[in-house]
Amino acid sequence: MGTKIGDWIHERSGWREQYRALFLRKIPKINWLYTLGSATLVTMVIQIVTGILLTLYYVPDPQEAYASVSYITNDLPFGWLIRGLHHWGASAMVLLVILHMVRVIMYGAYKYPREFTWFTGVALLLLTFSFGFTGYLLPWDQRAYWATVVGTRIGEVTPVVGDSLRQIMLGGDEISGLTLTRFFGAHVWVLPSLLLLLVGIHLYLVIRNGITAVPKRGE
Amino acid sequence: MSDNGDQPVDDEAGSSPGAGDDTQAEEKGISRRKLLARSVGVMSGAMAAAIGVPAVLYVTGPTREQAAIEKWIRLGSASSVETGTQTLMKATVEKRSGYLTETQELAVFVSTENGSDFVALSNVCTHLGCRVRWVENQNEFFCPCHNGVFAADGTVLAGPPPRPLDRFETKVEDGQIFIKEV
Repeated sequence: MGTKIGDWIHERSGWREQYRALFLRKIPKINWLYTLGSATLVTMVIQIVTGILLTLYYVPDPQEAYASVSYITNDLPFGWLIRGLHHWGASAMVLLVILHMVRVIMYGAYKYPREFTWFTGVALLLLTFSFGFTGYLLPWDQRAYWATVVGTRIGEVTPVVGDSLRQIMLGGDEISGLTLTRFFGAHVWVLPSLLLLLVGIHLYLVIRNGITAVPKRGE
Repeated sequence: MSDNGDQPVDDEAGSSPGAGDDTQAEEKGISRRKLLARSVGVMSGAMAAAIGVPAVLYVTGPTREQAAIEKWIRLGSASSVETGTQTLMKATVEKRSGYLTETQELAVFVSTENGSDFVALSNVCTHLGCRVRWVENQNEFFCPCHNGVFAADGTVLAGPPPRPLDRFETKVEDGQIFIKEV
């Protein structure tokens, strides 16, 4: 039954070849450090799933944001779990993406022909930080507020464009309801769109070029 | 895509040459490849369930909240209801949705034959939820959305409605009419 449906779809899509190219591709003899990229990817999927679930109840409004987060955490069944996964998943993703990058640096895996993969990876690192920064404001509590004050003040010291940068981030001179809605919009629409695009390119390149072997001393 | 993807790699001689090729696997019981594939499948399924089951409960949470206490809603003075017609009475009720309390307007057609027993009919059409109105000279309720027609006692006379207008339980206290919240 399963294979019959699989055959039917395969005849019309050729998915089995794609499946082989994706999951049964040839790889060199490697070690566990090579799973850090996949681990980051799994964390990303968890963040997407739990993030979508949170938007079902979260309200990006200065009057309602904190109350809606409190409702999710304290009143909804398993709300604490969904929010907890998103909270800890965010930290895990930052950690994993950095460890993944360190592995790539230590093994020299950014070299020809994988420079472009590296560039997209650097962009993905910055995107991950941007997710963390914009998501941190959304609970709209004291910690969120002051972290955003500090974060945008750091952005302000950028030469020449600093002042404008802070104003654009905040949607004005101070943190307001506009800041909350634009951080929310960035966190759930702008950044995810860029993330999926870049992850798509990144993964295509990883499969296109294959992965590096563990470098040997003296080579 | 790349020429890497043609054949799966076999790092140990004698293992099965490709996924989905069961012939050798059956001879040896279960191949290493198949065991790993199944383990990955089982673990993925377990992880999906670990998020999926709470997710379903989380999404459906507010719909499973039960009203703990029964509530009577005051509509107005019983003396304002005349015999032989329908009187539209309105009340605002507080509804809790999540952490918010919202006020909703409730409109009920109240009628009486003897001035002491009251019938309270919902003004919500049983077809698709539009609001019905009382047509005095026809002595019937009419729903403008799909031409549903109900008699004065709420029974369906014409059109698509599948059942009579909903009735509220009523009571009179100190000359005031109350209906029971459903």
